[in-house]
Amino acid sequence: MAKACCKTQEEIASEAIKHALKALRKRHFLEEAAHAPAFQALSRPFVSQGSEWKEKVENLQVELQQCYKAQSRLSEQLVVEVAEARASKASIQEKETAIADLQKELTEVREENSHLKLDLEQKIKELEVVMSENSELKAQLEQMTAKAKNAEAENKMLIDRWMLEKMKDAERLNEANALYEEMVERLRASGLEQLARQQVDGIVRRSEEGAEFFLESNIPSTCKYRLNAHEGGCAAILFEYNSSKLITGGQDRSVKVWDTNTGSLSSNLQGCLGSVLDLTITHDNRSVIAASSSNNLYVWDVNSGRVRHTLTGHTDKVCAVDVSKVSSRHVVSAAYDRTIKVWDLVKGYCSNTIIFHSNCNALSFSMDGQTIFSGHVDGNLRLWDIQTGKLLSEVAGHSLAVTSISLSRNGNVVLTSGRDNVHNLFDVRSLEVCGTLRAAGNRVASNWSRSCISPDDNHVAAGSADGSVYIWSISKGDIVSTLKEHTSSVLSCRWSGIGKPLASADKNGIVCLWT
Amino acid sequence: MSEAHKYVWEGSVPLQIHLHQSEVTTLPPPPPALVLAPRIGYLPLLMSLLKPHFSSALPPGVDTIWFEYKGLPLKWYIPTGVLFDLLCMEPERPWNLTVHFRGYPSNLLLPCEGEDSVKWSFINSLKEAAYVINGNCKNVMNMSQPDQVELWRSVFSGNLDSYRRVSSKLKLGTFEDEYMENINSVSTKSQQSTEETESAGQVKTGRVPVRLYLWTVSEDFDDFEDAPQIDNWDKVSYINRPVEIHKDDGKYFSLNDAVKSLLPEFFPETSFVNEVDGSINQSTGEEGENTLDPVPSFHPHDNAEIKLVRIQGIEPKLEIPFSWVVNNLMNPEYFLHMCVCLKVSEAKAVQ
Repeated sequence: MAKACCKTQEEIASEAIKHALKALRKRHFLEEAAHAPAFQALSRPFVSQGSEWKEKVENLQVELQQCYKAQSRLSEQLVVEVAEARASKASIQEKETAIADLQKELTEVREENSHLKLDLEQKIKELEVVMSENSELKAQLEQMTAKAKNAEAENKMLIDRWMLEKMKDAERLNEANALYEEMVERLRASGLEQLARQQVDGIVRRSEEGAEFFLESNIPSTCKYRLNAHEGGCAAILFEYNSSKLITGGQDRSVKVWDTNTGSLSSNLQGCLGSVLDLTITHDNRSVIAASSSNNLYVWDVNSGRVRHTLTGHTDKVCAVDVSKVSSRHVVSAAYDRTIKVWDLVKGYCSNTIIFHSNCNALSFSMDGQTIFSGHVDGNLRLWDIQTGKLLSEVAGHSLAVTSISLSRNGNVVLTSGRDNVHNLFDVRSLEVCGTLRAAGNRVASNWSRSCISPDDNHVAAGSADGSVYIWSISKGDIVSTLKEHTSSVLSCRWSGIGKPLASADKNGIVCLWT
Repeated sequence: MSEAHKYVWEGSVPLQIHLHQSEVTTLPPPPPALVLAPRIGYLPLLMSLLKPHFSSALPPGVDTIWFEYKGLPLKWYIPTGVLFDLLCMEPERPWNLTVHFRGYPSNLLLPCEGEDSVKWSFINSLKEAAYVINGNCKNVMNMSQPDQVELWRSVFSGNLDSYRRVSSKLKLGTFEDEYMENINSVSTKSQQSTEETESAGQVKTGRVPVRLYLWTVSEDFDDFEDAPQIDNWDKVSYINRPVEIHKDDGKYFSLNDAVKSLLPEFFPETSFVNEVDGSINQSTGEEGENTLDPVPSFHPHDNAEIKLVRIQGIEPKLEIPFSWVVNNLMNPEYFLHMCVCLKVSEAKAVQ
């Protein structure tokens, strides 16, 4: 039994031993075999890394030392640089302040400089002004001295002339004395002459044709009648030949016949279509011709009072008309169309037209009926031949327009009135002025103011714008009377052929009859 | 050289060693060191590996290395493998230890001055073993200096050949069970294998130096994971008795027998009354460790149950011939370290 046990025990033992070995193996595998490689792998890099790191550390330490050394060197340098920088900054600061000061000085100096410049300029200007004044004054001085010299010379000269004049005066005085004596002589002589002539004339006149009609015209002084002739104005009045019948024409287009003795209206000639600007009557007192503003002329038969002719042809207002004293056939009219027309009353139309650049204001036939006197706006008196219509002569009569032409009774003298307030007497033959009449207040009222000569050829009557009628004596050459009655401008004056009355018409249409 | 010898000498425990938090001065903290610690080696010998690993993180001061596992400071004179077998019921691979370099717990651990302390402890143990085996330690004391140095060197570096060379001079022999004569022939010089049967060399029967580490549990457990943790050295009783290999007719001396012979108080039925004198912990005249365990009581108990016997990281079958165990699984200092866990029905007898 023991052996069996032992055997089994052997087995058991060997089994147990095997098991133990197996367990050892297993443990080996679990412990060192499993972990050794990993641990080795892990440790190696650490180890090697450790040495690497050590090397690196050593290197870095060396570098660090070097860096420290470099740093210390640099910081030393830096200290030096900083000190230098500070020093230069300080010097810069100083310099800057110095610069600022200098700039300030500079600006101040510049200012001063500019001020001085301004002053200098001013002074220069002033100096220039003064110099110019000086030169002007010099020039003036020269002028003055020259003037003075001139004045002296003139003075001298004037004194000389004056002496001369004085001497001349003395001479003239002598002459005048001599003349005076002569004239006194002459006067005495002429006085005798005139007396003689007058007497002779009277005799002669009386012996002339129509001498019965001659009356000594007196100077009218009073207004006998005051006729309200026409409304709006009366511009044309006319006495019948050797009669006291007055014919008037006015703005109211009527021609009236008055009896001046009574001052009453005799008849009224109708038919005129415009204002009557001028009238004329034939020598036989049978026809009255009126110049009208309606560009026409009307011919009435006085007795019947009918219009016998209407003369058309003018293109503007007809302002003057006259009829031949010889033939009673030829009528001449002037209109403001610058024409003068000659009409034949028998035929009834215009036979001749004269065109002239200056308008004619007044017309008059000559005594022989061959020549026409015309007074123009340019102040000239002109003579025309009726047949040919040519200008015969021309004479300057007035400085302004001629307003009236009237012939003296003897036909030798023509009276012209002008807007220049002058009344001239022309010798018909020589066309020289033989007398000039003026008056202080006499103002010719319009372009067609008519004046007239008295029948004794000794007086002139003219109306004035102030309403008075002035009467001159030709022989005296001066005003002899002023008739005041009109209240407005006197446009026309006419002396009756028998000496009285004198009729005057004014702008209001009032006609005064003076005796 | 037997296969088992090789495994024993090459055996290493994988350790993941963490530097204790209180000693970490760097951010981030140093990673744990992964080392393979020889089972037959001692923890303080790892200083040369750990110091460079952790040196950068250490606070300034003097380094005295010590280890702890889950708060339990580890006794440095116990071989690494034994500590592992004892404290990790369920082997934790890698084993997470915490290393300290400061604050050596002098109240708990014997002072260790580095490699030299460990070396002297080793030599002492060797002398003790020689005494147990031969009755004297002359051979150890007469060892020449270079031999001593080389012996230690070979242990330190795990060089089995070099060790064999020197240790053979000690002539400490092997242990043999008479019974095993037929099965195992032992020669101090020849290789030993379980299958070999050689002519007997120097055969000794006698006393085997054993260090037994015992802890008891009152409750049963099935998995080692469930085993209660040893958190206090008081829970471990350290029995330093030699084992007499008895020949029993018809039966070889098994491991079971050996354990029971060492713990008569737990196995009162055993007939190994002679082993009772083992109650006195043998303290050799040389310097040695002070056993911290109190004298086990003589109270007779019901038979305890052997839950675990662990030697060199393995749990051999209890039927295994003890002589094989001794010859193959002993440590270089000729001691056999065994970790035994007993389940005891009563409240813990060993406190």
